[in-house]
Amino acid sequence: MNTNLKISNVTKIYPGCVANDNVSLEFNSGKIYALLGENGAGKSTLVKILSGVVIPDEGKIYLNKNILKLNSPSDAKKNDIGMVFQHFNLFETLSVFENLIIDSDEQRENLKEKIDTIMKKYNFSVDLDVPVLNLSAGQKQKVEIIRCLIRSPKVLIMDEPTSVLTEQETSELFLSLKKFSEEGILIIYITHKLKEVMQLCDEVAVMRRGKLVSVSQINNENIESLANKMVGQDLKKIKKKKENTSSEQLIKITNLNFTSEDPFETNLVDINFSLNRGECLGIAGISGNGQSELFQVLSGEIISNKNSIEFNKNFIGNLNPQERREYLMAFSPEDRLEQAAIPQMAIFENVALNNFKSSNFFNNGLINESKIKEHSKKIISEFNVNTDNIDLKSQFLSGGNLQKLIIGRELITSPDLLICFNPTWGLDVGAINYIHETLIKINEQNKSIILISTDTDELLKLSDKISVIHRGKLSKIMNAEDVTSEKLGILMGGGN
Amino acid sequence: MIKIVKRDQPSKAIFFFTPVLAIFLTLIAGGIIFYILGFKPFEALKFFFIVPIADKYGFSELLLKATPLCLIAIGLSFCFKSNNWNIGAEGQLTFGAIVSGGVALLFYDQEGFYILPIVILAGAIGGMIYASIPAILKTYFNTNEILVSLMLVYVSKLILDYLVVGPWSNPEGFNFPETRQFSDSARLPLLFEGLRIHAGIFLALAAVVISWFVFYKTYLGFQMKVSGFSLKTAKYAGYKGKKMIILVFLISGACAGLAGVGEITGPIGQLHREVSPDYGFTAIIVAFLGRLHPVGIIFASLVVAITYLGAETAQIFMQIPKYTGQVFQGMILFFLLASDYLLFFKFKFIGSKK
Repeated sequence: MNTNLKISNVTKIYPGCVANDNVSLEFNSGKIYALLGENGAGKSTLVKILSGVVIPDEGKIYLNKNILKLNSPSDAKKNDIGMVFQHFNLFETLSVFENLIIDSDEQRENLKEKIDTIMKKYNFSVDLDVPVLNLSAGQKQKVEIIRCLIRSPKVLIMDEPTSVLTEQETSELFLSLKKFSEEGILIIYITHKLKEVMQLCDEVAVMRRGKLVSVSQINNENIESLANKMVGQDLKKIKKKKENTSSEQLIKITNLNFTSEDPFETNLVDINFSLNRGECLGIAGISGNGQSELFQVLSGEIISNKNSIEFNKNFIGNLNPQERREYLMAFSPEDRLEQAAIPQMAIFENVALNNFKSSNFFNNGLINESKIKEHSKKIISEFNVNTDNIDLKSQFLSGGNLQKLIIGRELITSPDLLICFNPTWGLDVGAINYIHETLIKINEQNKSIILISTDTDELLKLSDKISVIHRGKLSKIMNAEDVTSEKLGILMGGGN
Repeated sequence: MIKIVKRDQPSKAIFFFTPVLAIFLTLIAGGIIFYILGFKPFEALKFFFIVPIADKYGFSELLLKATPLCLIAIGLSFCFKSNNWNIGAEGQLTFGAIVSGGVALLFYDQEGFYILPIVILAGAIGGMIYASIPAILKTYFNTNEILVSLMLVYVSKLILDYLVVGPWSNPEGFNFPETRQFSDSARLPLLFEGLRIHAGIFLALAAVVISWFVFYKTYLGFQMKVSGFSLKTAKYAGYKGKKMIILVFLISGACAGLAGVGEITGPIGQLHREVSPDYGFTAIIVAFLGRLHPVGIIFASLVVAITYLGAETAQIFMQIPKYTGQVFQGMILFFLLASDYLLFFKFKFIGSKK
């Protein structure tokens, strides 16, 4: 039987951000559909709407011409929409079988039979009696897929399923997905990996900034054309004016490695680069490819070999962030609310987090509140933070104002180098422009920036040099003029 | 219609109102329990909460009980504010008592002004040593401090048991499980003739003032506060998060150890099996009832101290087991946690129109 899923004029607005802007799409069974887009393009929101996790502000969803009311994940299940999330929703200490039956009201014996049939049919081999924590990522994913298949779904949505898989597991997954599709299950495959789209899918829908950009047959596309659509090429024009940068080297990274004990972190492999005064180095990449680890290594949250980081002719690889600040480095982390600032503390207290010695925030171990407050007022007026109450808890600042406060806090000590990670993530256009102007301005003052960002437009606009990080490795460093969005897109997807 | 809505920001008023509400609800629930047991609720509550502190002696006893509670809770507030769940203050108290008691026994036949300070210091150090165990295990081996600190409570009680029965027992004590009496120089001075309230209360008050100063006025306190809210931020700011964890445990252990000193060199005057009626555990309730704020903790320690006294009075006059005191302590914590719901949500009365 044919399945037809139709999304009609769906809009979802979050404060300060339109996640889905009037999106309409139609899917038919027998084909595998790709939903392609950068981070923050709105793919996940759309998928969450389809699986009942998020309720749209406007728009309707039809399954086989019947309107669907999806108010909760269980509504989606009832309507035969199955979903495999990027991060597994399994109980690690329960056995595979217990995980499979946990949300079902059917008899255990029936289920056992059903599971056996499914496993035989698709050639899955997972031991049902071992606890889930002993399984590999690929096997865990199979458990998730079986859990969907038990309900004989009409629609199966896969959210970036290969991000945790090995090559071998990926090709196994693709075989299974093709088989499901032949049996009439409608497959929607969310990804930002272009190669996979070309390999697996029949049709591709591209999203950018909450809007649907294009829907096309895969036969009419190639990696370059998709990269172009995904990244958007038209914005490159407003790039900053190329100044004559100095040739004085400011920072040099030599053979920097980081091996994490945490399986969810990315290892950094042989990072090498150098940056001159007044330059902006952009580091592009799809999130989760080692950006966060790179930021932490550069900021000193992760300490490395002393000689691996040379800054202003000092070797500082073994210093912590506070000590690095004294050498005139400044840092703006990605996570505003959980790392760069503490929402429950007042604005002026957050300012004191950047404890630069000469600011004299703390004398003889005592808090010098008046000094901190004076300093905070200066930041607020110089960096246009829209408040005049520095006793306000910072959770009451909008994202844009909080980011201005953070950037201001880091810049007011006039550092030689600012390292920022997704500085405009989730901000509205006005705040984005302000931050961009500020960053261009400090470049013009012969100060340097390392900009780690998942926003390609931003990187092309601000950088002098660009490199791409993929699975913890940096590509060679390119001059920004020579870089096209196609090239970035290919490198980001792991191509050459 | 009543609707429950999320609050934007918990107001200061509600922050200190919910503990009062919790105490009020505890009284009501307590009255109901007394009624079910066949007592007149008001009379029983009067025996429980008013009679014990109606005279001078009663008031002195109240302060006597409140002193260790306050001291330990102040120490615990350092841990709890920075998200370190040290629930082994009872063990740190016991170990502090063992160390200071051991030192006091060394001087059992001597007099001298220098003895008491050494004994007090020994108690603080004992508590710190004992608290450093869960702290170091947590920071370097990722163990869970709740389990370790709790388990160590029983270890310390068994050590005390062994000592007072075996090596340290009073040679002239007819094999009673207790040590010699400490010399007068190792005893905290009494404040008033005929009352048991002793100079330990000044230790508690000093702890209150110092903790307020450290937390609200010093860089160290600022770093503890930040580390408590977010270790990620602490790392980013360049604070030494691990040292901060060990430090709060040491502070908390020192306070608990001092409370132990106060007990054995105050009202008890020797070591025996029962140096503390679970002050270390009850202080956890005190810390939260006082909102981890130094002044709040003073009030909370007084309130909770009454439950100790009331339980004794009720046992004597009404033949109710003294464990009702623990029932009341449990109810206070229960109602406090329940009424904390009001911190984050408020009831909104909506007219019939909408």
